[in-house]
Amino acid sequence: MPAVRITGLVVEVAGRVLLQLPRLQIEAGERVAIVGANGAGKSTLLRVLGGFMHPARGQVEVLGRRLDTLDRAAWRRLRCETGQVLQGLHLVPRLTARENVMIGALARPGLPAWRSWARCFPPALVAEADAALDALGLAAMRHLRADRLSGGERQKVGLARLQLQRPRLVLADEPTAALDPAATAQACAALRRSAAGATLLTVVHQPSLLPLLADRVLGLDAGRLVFDRPLAAVNAALLDALYTFTCARPAPPGAPGAPRVTGLSDGREHGTWEPGPAAARPATG
Amino acid sequence: MPLSPAARGRLGFLALAGVYGGLVLACVATLAAAGDLSLGRHPWHNLLKTLADFSQPSFLDVWFGPTRLEYRGDGGALLRVENRREVEATFLWALARASWTTFQIATLGSLLAALLALPLALLAARNLHAPRALAGVARAVLDMARAVHTLVFGLVLVGIVGLGPTAGILAIALHSMGSYGKLFAESIESLDRAAIDAVRATGASPAQVFFNAVWPSVLPQFVGNHLYVWEFNIRDSTILGLVGAGGLGLLVSEAVSLFQWSRLATVLLVIVALVVGFDALSRRIREALR
Repeated sequence: MPAVRITGLVVEVAGRVLLQLPRLQIEAGERVAIVGANGAGKSTLLRVLGGFMHPARGQVEVLGRRLDTLDRAAWRRLRCETGQVLQGLHLVPRLTARENVMIGALARPGLPAWRSWARCFPPALVAEADAALDALGLAAMRHLRADRLSGGERQKVGLARLQLQRPRLVLADEPTAALDPAATAQACAALRRSAAGATLLTVVHQPSLLPLLADRVLGLDAGRLVFDRPLAAVNAALLDALYTFTCARPAPPGAPGAPRVTGLSDGREHGTWEPGPAAARPATG
Repeated sequence: MPLSPAARGRLGFLALAGVYGGLVLACVATLAAAGDLSLGRHPWHNLLKTLADFSQPSFLDVWFGPTRLEYRGDGGALLRVENRREVEATFLWALARASWTTFQIATLGSLLAALLALPLALLAARNLHAPRALAGVARAVLDMARAVHTLVFGLVLVGIVGLGPTAGILAIALHSMGSYGKLFAESIESLDRAAIDAVRATGASPAQVFFNAVWPSVLPQFVGNHLYVWEFNIRDSTILGLVGAGGLGLLVSEAVSLFQWSRLATVLLVIVALVVGFDALSRRIREALR
C-alpha cells in the first residue's frame, strides 16, 4: 500500500491554481524531499495531505484512505497516524513546553479522556515527553511557557511533539528553518528518529540536508512537478536552476543572460518562462 | 499636479484637524452666544467655601467632635442636644453597610453580565462564523447594551423592580453585558487558529482540542476581562444610588440634598479608597495572568 497516491490533483485558491499534480506516488517507508522556490506549491502539497486544504479536483489517497471519503472520526484516525510539522503550525502559546509535547500523545488509544481534558497525564507519558525534550537539548525548558521560547526552541518542541505521536507518515515543512547549524543536526536526528519505519515527506531548502532526510527528491516550480529523481541523480546545477530561474528578472527573449534551464525531466522550455509580478505568486511556499 | 500618497495623507489629516477645531469653536461660540459660559457670581468665594467644608470630613467627629452639641432656637431655647461622636459613628456604620451593598451590586451585576454576555459573544465572534442573522442580532444587542448608560438602566429598572440593590444589580448587568460581549468576542477572535490546527493535526478529538488549545488560551483572557469590568463596575455602582438603586450613591444624594458637605467628603473618601484599592488589586492579578 503506498503512503501517498495522487491522481489529477488541482488545488486552487480564489481561482488561482496553486498546485497541479497529474500523478504522484510515494511508497510506504520512502523518504522524500520536496524542493522548490517560495510559492512553488510545496506547503500546499503538505497541507492537502494533512487535510488543511482541500483540492479543487483530483484524488488523494493517504495511508490507503481516500481523503474525499473520510468523515470526521476517520479524519481524526488518519491525523493520528500522520505527524505534521508544518509552517505556522504553532504550539499552544500558554502551555508549557512539556504540555505542548504531551499534545502529541492525545490521540493515543488507552489514554483516559479525563486525563487528556485535565492535562493530567500518566507518569510514563510525562517521562517520555521529557526524554524527547532532553534529546533535543531542551531539558531546562520543560516548564517554560511556549510563548517564552525562542523560535528555534519552539520548532524543537514541535519535533518533540511529533516524536510522541509515533506517526506512520511524517509531513515536515522546513523543519529546520529557524535553527542554527548545531540545532539543525539535532532536529534532523529527531526527525529521523520519529520517522524511523515511517514515510517521511520533507520540504527542504538546504541542499546539504537532502542526504540526511531523503532518498528521493521532488522539484516543484509554480505548482508543477518539474523533476522527480532519486537523491543520487540530483546535483547542484539542477537545484540551482530550480531556485534561480524563478528569481531571475524578466529579460527580453533571447537576450544574453536570460535564464535557461536544462536537465529538467519534463523537458519544459524554461528559458522563455517569465515570472509574473511578485504579488501574483502564490503566498504559500 | 498629482499628489503623492504621503502628501495626500497629510492633507487629509490637516482637513480632519480643521473639522475638529471647527467643532470645538462651534461649541464654545454657541455657548457664549447663549450666555451660558458664566462661572456664577462669586466663583472664588464659593470655591474656598467648598474646600473649607470638604477639608473637615465628618468622620473626624467620631474622635474629635463635641460630645454635647446644642441646637437652640431663635429665642435661645434649647431644641435638641446631640452627641456628635455617636451620630457620626452611626453614620460610619451606615456607610460601611452601603459600601458592602455597592460591592454586592458590582460583584453580582458583573457576574450576571458575564453569564449573559458569553453566549452573545460566541455568536458575535467573527471567527466562529455563527449564522449571519444571529450574529447580527447578537452584535446589535451588545451595542445597544453598551450605548445605554448604567444610570439610565437604573432609572428604568427602579420603576420595574422597585428601589433597592436588585435594580442596581440588573442595571449593572445589562450595561456591562455590552462591554463583556465585546471583550469576550475579541478574546475569541484573537485565538491562535494555527495552534488549534496544530492540536487537531495530532488527531485529537474536539473535546481534547478544546481543553488543550482553546481553554488554556481563552481562560486567562476571560478572567482578565472579568476583573477589568468588575473593577469598572465598582466605580459605576457607587453612583447608582443616586437613582435609588442602593449603595453609596444613596448616601451621596442624601448628603447633597441636606447640604452636608462634610459627610459628602467622607463618602467620597470611601468611594475613592474603594475604587483605588480594587483597581490596584485587579491590576496586580491581571498582570500576573499575562
